[in-house]
Amino acid sequence: MALRPNPLLAQLLAASAGLVSSAAVPAEPVAADRSISYRHGDYDEDALAQAPLDGSDRRYRVRTEQFRLLTPAGEGASLSVDLTHEVMSGSSPWFSVPDANGQPLQVMSGASIHDRRSELGVGYQRALAGDREFTVSASYSAEDDYHATAVGLEWSRPLSAAIELGLGASFSHDRIDPTDAAEFGRIAQATKNTWSASAGLSFILDRSSLLQAGLQLTRSSGFLSDPYKRFFAGDRVLNEARPDQRLQGSLLLRYRRALIERDAALHLDGRYSIDNWGVHSHTVEAHWYQTLAEDWRVIPGFRYYTQSESSFYAPFASVGELGRYYSSDYRLATGGGVSASLDLRRQFGAWDWVIGLERHRATDALGFGSGNDPGRVSYTQIQAGFDFRFD
Amino acid sequence: MLNNAPIWRWTLGLCAACMLGACATTPVQPWERGRLARWDMQLDPDPMRTALKEHTRFSKEASSGRIGAAGGGCGCN
Repeated sequence: MALRPNPLLAQLLAASAGLVSSAAVPAEPVAADRSISYRHGDYDEDALAQAPLDGSDRRYRVRTEQFRLLTPAGEGASLSVDLTHEVMSGSSPWFSVPDANGQPLQVMSGASIHDRRSELGVGYQRALAGDREFTVSASYSAEDDYHATAVGLEWSRPLSAAIELGLGASFSHDRIDPTDAAEFGRIAQATKNTWSASAGLSFILDRSSLLQAGLQLTRSSGFLSDPYKRFFAGDRVLNEARPDQRLQGSLLLRYRRALIERDAALHLDGRYSIDNWGVHSHTVEAHWYQTLAEDWRVIPGFRYYTQSESSFYAPFASVGELGRYYSSDYRLATGGGVSASLDLRRQFGAWDWVIGLERHRATDALGFGSGNDPGRVSYTQIQAGFDFRFD
Repeated sequence: MLNNAPIWRWTLGLCAACMLGACATTPVQPWERGRLARWDMQLDPDPMRTALKEHTRFSKEASSGRIGAAGGGCGCN
């Protein structure tokens, strides 16, 4: 059985009775019920495999509180309000230096990072004539040293009884005011702008399966370096320098199959991304949604991610080797990771209780050569909370 | 940048998927879509879980992206 009443099911049943026209692909229905949701998240990074040369080995820990209100907003429309608050602490990779054998040794920041981030997001979704639908959204995120304002628009319409076209666009303006800028020679203030556009086609393959294929383009400009990352250049330590333009493209596939005889559903997701910094990546993800008893659901999942390094990444440089752009950020290095997750859901009347665990282990990249950046990270993430529906 | 094999393989896969989807001509009537309307058949059954995981990955990996409007940034990448 469905774990919660699905508003789309009611819509489709109404469609079968001829009350509304036949919608195409069931994707993200306009909410028919009010609901409030809460999640607590706990993200904890492992210590470095090798003790850092300097700085703390206590890596990042993030506590996250998420709240969501979803409510109808007139006929065929719904409003969502999302609040997120995070508390971050720990240390972060700063730069690396060569050891006696030329292998990189990590230098970490002190464990003095304490930051908070709050984000407010609002979305308005409306169904239009002809089974078209649009969503407008806006969000604002604030940290001590970082502010981001974003707006987005999504629109979809059926092309036939079995095919739906979806388009999306968004814009984000971010401003950074690094702490201790004068002490460490960091930029005092900087901005960046990010434009993104996406297009997707969703197909009903048969009574039990859906497929979505799409692409996304993202263009970033402005200050794209991390002002807290340093780079060892043989005889000096510099602030990292990245290009001030980045263009990313992603191809995406999502497949959903209902296995009624097993009371289960299979989710498969794939993504290939490429950018003009030289990074390309593969992502493959699978989840199995299994209903165990009437009100229980267990969801095991697996994810593999692998990426190549950017054209200006190096763990360090020798004297005279420095190019125009340089970064030793492990996130731009060759590498990858495998994640295993397990989520449990239990329904009690109008309540859905949720708990989930994910374990991510950093690995070598597959197909992109081996990488050995000392900063790469493994982590454990837990999320728990509830959804509550009411009139 | 574009002369590498993976992007062509993925592009080919994407086109093949679209052709497969477009050729799935057996019409599914509205009253036959009960399975597709299940909660576990939505493209994103738990948006809050997805938001948390996407935020984590955005801050730890070089690539990010999904179908739809992207959200705002943070100081983590």
